Amino acid sequence: MSEYRKPLPQIQPFTEAFWEGTRNNKLLVQTCNDCDARIFFPRRQCPECWSKDLDWIEASGKAEIYAFSVTYEGVESVFREDLPIVLAWVDLPEGIRMQTNIIDCDPDRVEIGQQVEVVFKPVTDDITLPYFRPVA
Amino acid sequence: MSLAIIGIAEVPTKRDPERTRWDMLSDVCMGAIRDAGIDKDDIEAVISVNPMAQAQMALDMALGRVPEVLGLKGCKDICVLNSGGTSTTNCLRLAKYFIDNGQAKFVLIPHTTVQSDIPTEDLINFFATAPLDPQWEYPYGVTFNGAMGLITNRYMHDTGATAEQMASVTVTLRGWGALDPNSIFYGKPVTLEDVLESRMISTPLHAKECNFLADGAGAMVVTSHEIAQELGRPAAYELGHGVRFTGATPVLREDPYFIKAYRESSQDALTEADLSIDDMDLRQIYGAYPFTQCSALEGYGVCEFGEAAAIWAEGRCGPGGDLPCTSMGDATGRGHTGSGVSMAFYLDTVRQLRGEAGERQVSDCNHALITTSGGSVMNACTTIFGSAPR
Repeated sequence: MSEYRKPLPQIQPFTEAFWEGTRNNKLLVQTCNDCDARIFFPRRQCPECWSKDLDWIEASGKAEIYAFSVTYEGVESVFREDLPIVLAWVDLPEGIRMQTNIIDCDPDRVEIGQQVEVVFKPVTDDITLPYFRPVA
Repeated sequence: MSLAIIGIAEVPTKRDPERTRWDMLSDVCMGAIRDAGIDKDDIEAVISVNPMAQAQMALDMALGRVPEVLGLKGCKDICVLNSGGTSTTNCLRLAKYFIDNGQAKFVLIPHTTVQSDIPTEDLINFFATAPLDPQWEYPYGVTFNGAMGLITNRYMHDTGATAEQMASVTVTLRGWGALDPNSIFYGKPVTLEDVLESRMISTPLHAKECNFLADGAGAMVVTSHEIAQELGRPAAYELGHGVRFTGATPVLREDPYFIKAYRESSQDALTEADLSIDDMDLRQIYGAYPFTQCSALEGYGVCEFGEAAAIWAEGRCGPGGDLPCTSMGDATGRGHTGSGVSMAFYLDTVRQLRGEAGERQVSDCNHALITTSGGSVMNACTTIFGSAPR
């Protein structure tokens, strides 16, 4: 897996727990113990109330496609082998929206409102990226 | 406080690495100062538009080379401002402050950009990393086109706009560009079929609906309303201004089509100008992707949400239409010169208000509204200009 040449997420101290979660096949959502906010992307302090008393809940892994776009060209060369790439914004029932890719799918049949589920793909020893695929 | 644009100059948008940044910069600065009818030593401040992805040029501008190279002996201060596509807007705002508090009577605002000498791979990387998130978006292969494809797709879902209607926006923008000697697409109109049959880049965006990166330069000389009137030359008078921030990261925005930002920024600007949206003879929308030409009209209150794509498809926003919009052509109809797109928008607005827009001239153009945006539309900066002071 050391040959992974695509850009890796630039991890910050306060996002380490998220990436440790994905390594363990868990999708974590940051929460605020003071104001109950659901926070994405994870921050050093709650963007709603500035509390530093933050916590994590494990998401169900289910999500719904809010928007998608199938990219056929115009990517950096390291991404070319993956074309077409299905970009998506997915809404989690836990209250956040995140950027991901829809994989294991026919790009022509992806739809807004479609139900998807998380898939964890280890790309290096340290990084596991959460992707989503259509619910069978 | 008041601000008037009294001198402009621009070089045609092209891809030509033989035309250096400094060649173009010198030409447009000299051109704008001559157009203003003042002496070069009357310029008391130079506020430069930050050139994107060109670190050396940005440093040259930040560290005072512009007045030195041009011999602007009256220059008291310099600055370079960077807020992406809204850099030019912020140059105008700072210039207004300098003029108002007596630091400068005349301010020069220049821009120059060459992208044709930058490798394509580096440009894709720049536009994918600069306005997008390195941890939560970039690892998924999101490009600028991809991010805008996502929003366009959802916009079409929510409004029912068809692919043909969306393509008509590009046909109209290229229609303006085809009449504009400063457009890279001068003399090159496209048809609906040309747009819909061009390569699919990031659904639903075809190649012709995406930006064509190019080189360009422009400059303005600005002063107060009072001095502009004393000079007795045609000018564009700023009458009102408003701005709203939408957020840096596309996936996180609660206002994905910027409707609220367009609405509130235009309302603030129109209120200050004591005018209504119906008083506008021209609407100039810098959104760089076609859906913004629609959502901006919906935000301004020109029509209801979901109606704008049909208005574009009827040809009402193009040359000769009853609702002229974006005669500058936007980046898709003119060529994308980085932070220079907003410069070109102001220059085109000045031409329209001075009656110098040639074949593209909007008849009786006395009031124009212009909105610029930076990053991946992180903000909407709306300004009202008139051909006379209030």
